[in-house]
Amino acid sequence: MHNSKYPISLVCGILLLFWIAILIMGAPFLTPFDPLEQNSSLRLEKPSLTHPLGTDRYGRDVLSRTLHGGRTTLISSVLALSSTLFIGLIVGLVAGMYHRSIIDTILMRVIDVLLAFPFMVLAMVIATLFGTSFIHLLIAVVSVWWISFARLTRSVVLQAKNDTSIAAATVLGAKRYVIMFQELLPKAVGPVLVLATFELGSLILSISALSFLGLGSQPPTPEWGSMLADGRDHFFQAPHILLGPTLFIMLTVLAFNLIGEGLRDWFDPNEITKF
Amino acid sequence: MYKIILQKLLQAFITLFCATLVLFILTHLAPGDPVKLRLGLPTEVAMSNTKVYEDRVNELRSQLGLDQTIFVQYVRWVKQLLRFELGNSIHTGRSVSSEIAARLPATILLSIPALLIQIVLGLLFGTISALKAGKTYDSVIRIICVSLASTPAFVLGLFLLWLFAVTFNVYEISSEASLKRMWLPSILLGLLAAPQLIRIVRANMLSEFGQIYVLAALSRGFGTKRVVKHALRNALLPVITVVAISFTTLISGAVVIESIFSWPGIGKYALDSVILHDYPVIQGYAFIMVTLVIFINLFVDLVYFLIDPRIRRKGETGIEDYA
Amino acid sequence: MKKFLFTVLVIGIVVIVLGCSNSDAMSTETENDNDENQELVIVGQEIATSLDPVEPLTASYLRSVGVAEALFIVNSEGEVEPSLAKSATEIDATTWEIKLRPNIAFWSGKAIDANAVIASLERSRSLDLQALPFLDDLTFHEVDEYTIQVKTTREHLNVPLNLSYYQTVIHNAEAKQDSIETMDFSGMYKVVEFDSKQKMVLELNENYWGEKPKINRIIHEEISDGQTRVLSALNGSSHVALNIPVTSMDQFKDNKEVEIVAAPAANTQTIYLNLNQPQFQDVRVRQALSWALDREELVLLGAEGQSTPVTTWLGSNPAFAEAKNAVYTKFDAEKASQLLEEAGWVEEADGIRYKDGNPLTLRLMTWGGDKALGETLQHQWTRIGVKAEVQHGDYSLIQTARESGEWDASIEAWSTFGEPLSLLSGQFSPEGSGNYGGYNDEVTNELLEQLAEASDEENRHQLALKINERVAEQAPVICLFPRPQITAVSKSLNGFEEHFRQFENVVNANLLFSSSHSN
Repeated sequence: MHNSKYPISLVCGILLLFWIAILIMGAPFLTPFDPLEQNSSLRLEKPSLTHPLGTDRYGRDVLSRTLHGGRTTLISSVLALSSTLFIGLIVGLVAGMYHRSIIDTILMRVIDVLLAFPFMVLAMVIATLFGTSFIHLLIAVVSVWWISFARLTRSVVLQAKNDTSIAAATVLGAKRYVIMFQELLPKAVGPVLVLATFELGSLILSISALSFLGLGSQPPTPEWGSMLADGRDHFFQAPHILLGPTLFIMLTVLAFNLIGEGLRDWFDPNEITKF
Repeated sequence: MYKIILQKLLQAFITLFCATLVLFILTHLAPGDPVKLRLGLPTEVAMSNTKVYEDRVNELRSQLGLDQTIFVQYVRWVKQLLRFELGNSIHTGRSVSSEIAARLPATILLSIPALLIQIVLGLLFGTISALKAGKTYDSVIRIICVSLASTPAFVLGLFLLWLFAVTFNVYEISSEASLKRMWLPSILLGLLAAPQLIRIVRANMLSEFGQIYVLAALSRGFGTKRVVKHALRNALLPVITVVAISFTTLISGAVVIESIFSWPGIGKYALDSVILHDYPVIQGYAFIMVTLVIFINLFVDLVYFLIDPRIRRKGETGIEDYA
Repeated sequence: MKKFLFTVLVIGIVVIVLGCSNSDAMSTETENDNDENQELVIVGQEIATSLDPVEPLTASYLRSVGVAEALFIVNSEGEVEPSLAKSATEIDATTWEIKLRPNIAFWSGKAIDANAVIASLERSRSLDLQALPFLDDLTFHEVDEYTIQVKTTREHLNVPLNLSYYQTVIHNAEAKQDSIETMDFSGMYKVVEFDSKQKMVLELNENYWGEKPKINRIIHEEISDGQTRVLSALNGSSHVALNIPVTSMDQFKDNKEVEIVAAPAANTQTIYLNLNQPQFQDVRVRQALSWALDREELVLLGAEGQSTPVTTWLGSNPAFAEAKNAVYTKFDAEKASQLLEEAGWVEEADGIRYKDGNPLTLRLMTWGGDKALGETLQHQWTRIGVKAEVQHGDYSLIQTARESGEWDASIEAWSTFGEPLSLLSGQFSPEGSGNYGGYNDEVTNELLEQLAEASDEENRHQLALKINERVAEQAPVICLFPRPQITAVSKSLNGFEEHFRQFENVVNANLLFSSSHSN
C-alpha cells in the first residue's frame, strides 16, 4: 500500500510552483507598469487599486517589480541551490561510504575549513579578482553553501550503513557504488531535500547581501532579494514595499517545501506508521 | 586511545594550517590596501603632497612587513602563532587576541540561549509535526516555519526592537552586551534558526516511523510515548549535525542581528575587518573559529557515540569513524 | 530523553523570564533617575577607535565631545574664533603672531605654553598625514612663553583657519596617548572609560579654563545601524543621535520628545568623470551630462528631500553661496540633447545615442549610502539616451578601478569649507589628489596661480568664484547637492547648537537638561 495521502503535497507544491511560474513568466503581459520607470510624484504610495502593493521610493510599482524580478531571483537561486545540493549529496555520500578512508578525512577537513571561513572574504575576492558577473555570484554562493548538505548527507549515510538492508547488500556482494546510489541516496534525499527547501529562502536573501560587493543583480534590475534590501531603508515608513517580495519568497519556499516532502515520500517507500 | 587522540590532533593541525594558509592567500589577493585604509580617506583638504603620502604608505608597509611575499608573511604569522600571539590589528594597532577576547564572550552569550531555544522548539514542534503529519497542526507549523525561513532577519529584528524599545519601552538600546539586553536578540536568533530544525526533526521522525520496528512495537502493545521516544532517539543523529552547524554559525557571529541590536559581538567586528582588509584580524578570527569548529565537531562525535546505541554496541569501531 | 527536553525547556524559560524581569527593573531605574545628575547619552555611527589624535578621525571624535581643543575654532557662521589661543594677528604677508592664554593647563597640570603647543603641532605634523596639508606651509617659533610666531611659505595664508581643523588639536606631546590614564588634553570633559568602537564615558574637567559645562557626565556610544539609532532616540535611550538616515525622517514627524536638527553641510556630492575615457574627452558630453540632471528630483529620490541642489563645487560652502546655482541654472534636458547632437552622438531606434557605431556608455560606481542616488542618476541619464549602468559596492572596488584606470564615473563628497586655494587645487590642479579624473585645464591652472599670488581678500574671493565657474563649465565633475547631516536631539536637552560641521561640534558648555522635559 503506497500511502495515498502524501502525493497530495507533491501535487499541491507543483501546482503552486506552476502558478508562480505563470505569474513570473507572464509578468510583461500581466502588469500594466514598467518595472523600471521612476515617477517621483508617486513615491512610497500605500497599496491601492492601481498599485495593489504600493510603490517604492522611486515611485515604481512594487507588484510589477515583484513579478518581473521573479525571473532573475528564481533562476539564480534555483541554479545555486541545485548545484549546492548536487555537490553536497555527492560529497556526503562518498565521505559517508568511505568513512574510514583518506577521502573522508580530506573532505571533512575541507568542510571544517569552509565552515569557519568568512563568506564575505571569499565573495569579495571573487568579485574583485574575477569580476562581478552572474557566474561568479553562483561560484561564491555554491562554494560555501554545499557544506551543510554534505554534512547532513554524511551523517544520514553513517547511520543508514548500520541498517539491515545495507548490511545484506554488502554481504550479497553488491558493488559499493550500487549500494551508494540504490540504498543510501534514497535515505539521504529526504532530510536533505527538506533542508534544501528551507534554505531556498535564506539563499535568496543572502544572494542579495552580495550586491553589497557588487556581485549579483545591479540596479535597476528588479530582484526579490535586492528589493528587500532596498526596502529596508523605509521599513518604518512604508513597510508595504517588503510585502510583495516577502510574500513571493514565502510562496516559493512553500511550494518547494511541499515538493521536497512529496519527493521524500517518493524516495522512501516504507509505509509510515500512523499514531 | 592515545593513538586516536594523536590522530585527532594531527588532523586538527592540518585543518588549521590549510584554513589559515588559504585565507592568507585569498585576503592578500583581494584588492584594497589596508595601509591606505588605515591612513584614512582624505575628504577634508586633499593631501596634495602625494610624495609624502606614498612615502608614508611604503614606510608603514615595510614596518608591517606587507612588502614581503605572501609566503614570507605567512611563515612570520605562523612563527608568531607558535608564541601564542595573533599579532596586532593594522587598523587599531591593538592586539588581535585582546580585541577578539573582548567580543567573543558577547557572541557566546547570545549563541547559547539561542541554540537552546532552537533545540527546544525544533524537537518539540518537529515531533508534534511528525505525529500529526498531514493534519492541521502539521500544516500550521509548516506555514509558520516557511514564513520564518523566508522573512529577512532585519524585518523581525527591527520590528521586535521597535515593539519592545519604543512601544512598550522595556528594552534599553545601548552598545553594551549585558544580561538584561540579551533576551531579545537571543530569542530572535533562536526563532530564526528553529524552522530548519523543526523540519529536519519531522523528516527524520517520519522516516523512523517508516521503520518496521515502530510498527512491530506498536502492534505488540507498547505505548505511543515509548515508541516515539525510541524513534526520537534514532532520529537524533542527523539532528545533532544540524544543531552543530547552527552553533558554529551562531558563534561565528550574526552580523545583521548584532548590528540591529548594537550587540558588540564578533560577527560585525569580523565583517568590518574584512572591509578594512585588516589581515591580522581576519587571520586571528579565522584561526579561532576553525579551532572552535574543530572542538565542536569533536564534541559532536562524542555525542554521536553516546546517543546511537547501534554505534556503541558494535564496539568494533572507535569514535574516529564518526567524525 | 524527556528529562533532557524538560531541563532544556526550563533553562530556556528561565533565561527568557530573567531577561524580561531584568529589563523591567532597568526601565524603572531610569525613570527614577531624574535629578540634575543626568547623564547625556550621545550615539553615533562610529566613535573613536583610539585615543591618540594623530590617528585618522580620532581627533574629530574627541573634539566633538569636548575632550580635545585646537587653537582656533570655526563657529556655526563659518567664522574662525580663538579657542585655546587668545588672539592672532597678521604681522606681514608671511608672518602671524599667535597669543596664547596664560595660566591654562592640560589635565595633567602641564602648562599649555608656546613650547607645549609647538611640540603638539610638530607631533601632528610628523605623525598625521591628514594634518600635513594644514601644517606643511607653516613653521613655528617661540617668541615668549605665551607667544608663537608662525612663518608661512605662501603669502596671505589664513593661519587661524588652518589651526582650527581637528587635525591640529593641541595635546601633550610628551604624554602617551594610548590609555585613559596617560592621555592628556585640555578639554572640558575627561575620558574616564573607553572601549574602542563601543563606548566612551566622559566626566567634567573641574579645572577647565573656560566656561564650565553644566552636565557632569557624558556617554558616547557607537550604534552602527542607522535605524537602531533612530529607535534609541525615539525610546529615550539617547539624547543626541548623530547621522540619522534621511529615510527615517518620517518617524520623527509630530514627535513630542525628539526634534530634528538638519544643518546644511559644507560638502558637495560630486560625480567625478574619468576624462581619459574617449567619450568624456568632449566637453559637450560632460556638460550634457550635467544639464540632463533634474537635481530637485535627485534630492527627493536620493536624499528624501533633505538637501538643496548645488550646481557648482564651491556652492555648498556658506561663503560662496552665491555660486550655488551658477552655470547650470536649471534642469534642461533639451539643452543636454542638443549638446550631444552637436558632439555627434545621435539617438537610434533603441533609444541610445551612438557615434561611429559605438554607444554612449557610462558606468557609475557608487558606495555607502549613495545607492538610491546612483539609481536615480542612471534613470535620468537614460532619458537623454546615455546607456548608463550603476555598480554599487564596497569603496575598495572604486579604489581598485581608479588605480587600473578602468572606470567611468564615481561619487564622492569632499568638504568644501576651508581655504579656497588648497580646496580648489586639491580638486582641480593636475597634481591634486582629489582630482581623480585627470582634469588638466590651462585656464584653470592659470587662475589657480593667480589665486596663489593674490593678496587682497576680495580679489581672492572673486578668483575662487572664477575658478569655480570655469570648472563648472568644463565639467570634469558634476555637482549635485550637499550631503544631508541630520541629528535627532531630545527636547529635554537645551542648548544644542546647529553647525555645518556637526560631526565635530556636538557638545558645548551650555547644554542643559530642562526640568519640564525629562524622559
